[in-house]
Amino acid sequence: MTRANSTRFERLEQTIIVSSLLLMVVVTVQPILNLLAISFSDSAQVPGMSGLAVVPRGFSLDVWTLLIANPEVQRGLLNSLFITITGTILNVTFTALMAWALSRPRLPGRRILFVFVLATIVFEPGLIPDYFVVRELGLLNTYWAVILYKLVNAWYLIILIRFFEEVPGELLEAAELDGANAFQTLWKVVLPLTMPALATITLFYLVYHWNEFLRPMIYLNDSSMHPLQVVLRKFVLDGDKSSMVGLAAMSNYQGAAQISTRALNAGMIMLTILPILAVYPLILKFFTKGTMSGALKG
Amino acid sequence: MSLDEKQLASTVSNFGNVPKSAKRVPWRIAFGLKLRAWWPYYAMMTPGIIYFLVFHYFPIYQAKLAFEDFRIFGDNLFVGFKHFDTLFDSPAFFQVLANTLIISAMKMVFVFPVPIFIALFINEVRSTNLRRFIQSAIYLPHFLSWVVIAGIFIAALSPSSGVVNDIGQALGFAPRSFMTESGSIRWVVVFSEMWRTAGWDSLLYFAAIMAIDPQLYDAAEMDGANRWQKIVHVTLPGITPTIATLFILNVGLFMNAGFDQIFNLSNDAIRDQIDIIDTYVYRIGLQSGQFSLATAAGLFKGVIGMVLIVAAHTISKRLTGKGVW
Repeated sequence: MTRANSTRFERLEQTIIVSSLLLMVVVTVQPILNLLAISFSDSAQVPGMSGLAVVPRGFSLDVWTLLIANPEVQRGLLNSLFITITGTILNVTFTALMAWALSRPRLPGRRILFVFVLATIVFEPGLIPDYFVVRELGLLNTYWAVILYKLVNAWYLIILIRFFEEVPGELLEAAELDGANAFQTLWKVVLPLTMPALATITLFYLVYHWNEFLRPMIYLNDSSMHPLQVVLRKFVLDGDKSSMVGLAAMSNYQGAAQISTRALNAGMIMLTILPILAVYPLILKFFTKGTMSGALKG
Repeated sequence: MSLDEKQLASTVSNFGNVPKSAKRVPWRIAFGLKLRAWWPYYAMMTPGIIYFLVFHYFPIYQAKLAFEDFRIFGDNLFVGFKHFDTLFDSPAFFQVLANTLIISAMKMVFVFPVPIFIALFINEVRSTNLRRFIQSAIYLPHFLSWVVIAGIFIAALSPSSGVVNDIGQALGFAPRSFMTESGSIRWVVVFSEMWRTAGWDSLLYFAAIMAIDPQLYDAAEMDGANRWQKIVHVTLPGITPTIATLFILNVGLFMNAGFDQIFNLSNDAIRDQIDIIDTYVYRIGLQSGQFSLATAAGLFKGVIGMVLIVAAHTISKRLTGKGVW
């Protein structure tokens, strides 16, 4: 094989590799862009729009104004924000506290506590026993039924313990000699040194709470407590069109009746994705690094 | 000198002036001293421990419901394995068990290898910017909920306006309703799983590739290896432990065919094709109120799952020295 030949062959290889990856990018992103385009299109033109379209036809904010004016969507958004923020603060606090204690190598009973945590990963009794526990605790129809579940995620706990264990022992001893108590050492020495790990699990918990729909659906009977994912499910998957348009909007807003459900579905899906897209740059920064180093440590 | 002899020797030599060894301190006092030194740490762990007891250990006790007849008023009646007998006699449960195994197996065969190829391909992209762009696009679906993904798939697979049928029609195929046809719904499950996870999972393999010693590539190049030979003889052997570990752990999760996914992609027309143990438990338990039967089904799944996870982990550790715990 001559050199010229091999270069041409390599160039062909490179083209095939890059184009197949770009095709994958298109398959991943196009359906989302299509929905985004439809949600911003003029309603009259939506029925004629192809699933391939990624540019809005005409331009109209009708779908977005209608959805944002919908009381169910508003409440859903607030509920989601409340559950996500409260949940994540509690998650990170208690995971960090427990991880700090368990990362002390000489803590008496450390092994037993590890087994105690790991056993919960291995065996899951299932949905119904869980339901009865929530019921017996009197948490049915309270936000706590949703927030407290996975208060401490065993996997993230283990990740955090591994990171805490890497804080040099001399630093901890120095802090203790200076009279810092266990809490002060955690706050002033350990946490600042493990910020990337902490940010990673914070994002993990945020995404988890934002995406959760099953528990709110099961445990919150009162639909005014439903987060956005449950509202999305009701509107788009169960096809509840009337509450999606909303009676109030129907009478106040002339064009409401004409807006296609396809456009409303698209808008509702995009609205639910929006917060994830907003934190996505952070996710990429921390998650990829965390996962990369996690995999390397193995 | 054996241990006993050592002890004997030390006892004899110390006879008369026995130092107070740590062992001589009564356990109560030792325990008290330890507690005094460590109590802030135990205090910090208390909320976490209570959480695990209440939300993970209390449900194990509650699972006794599988061996009882549930009563709204009064105590439940112990009935032994009655509900398990009902379960194993019912064709519906076997259909659900079969679906669980079939869907898991399909995911293993068709979804599991994809991230490996993606990682190998991404590693061949020379431009860092292009690589970052591709990665940030294909990681995204991993962070979307299954409700959202089901919405996206319903739109994309719509017979009248979905992108798949639009392309199909341009190529001369008649439009199909993929979401409601029993012949295609399992492939929808497999493909949506791929769409969501393949990109993100490639990250693990990519990290493993990055960890391969660059000298190995240099050496291969010196020996005249081309790109494919380097992939086959350097990259693949380099990531084999990662592939093995993830494969074994996937086997461990075989009973988890994916509740959220199936639950959101389901509709009445194709339920019998993709109903899995988890969705079955939800339906007969929370929707039909057959709590004991549903608990029995959930417990059956939990026990098989536990055996698989422990076995997978043990094998993984033996084989590669790597484990999760």
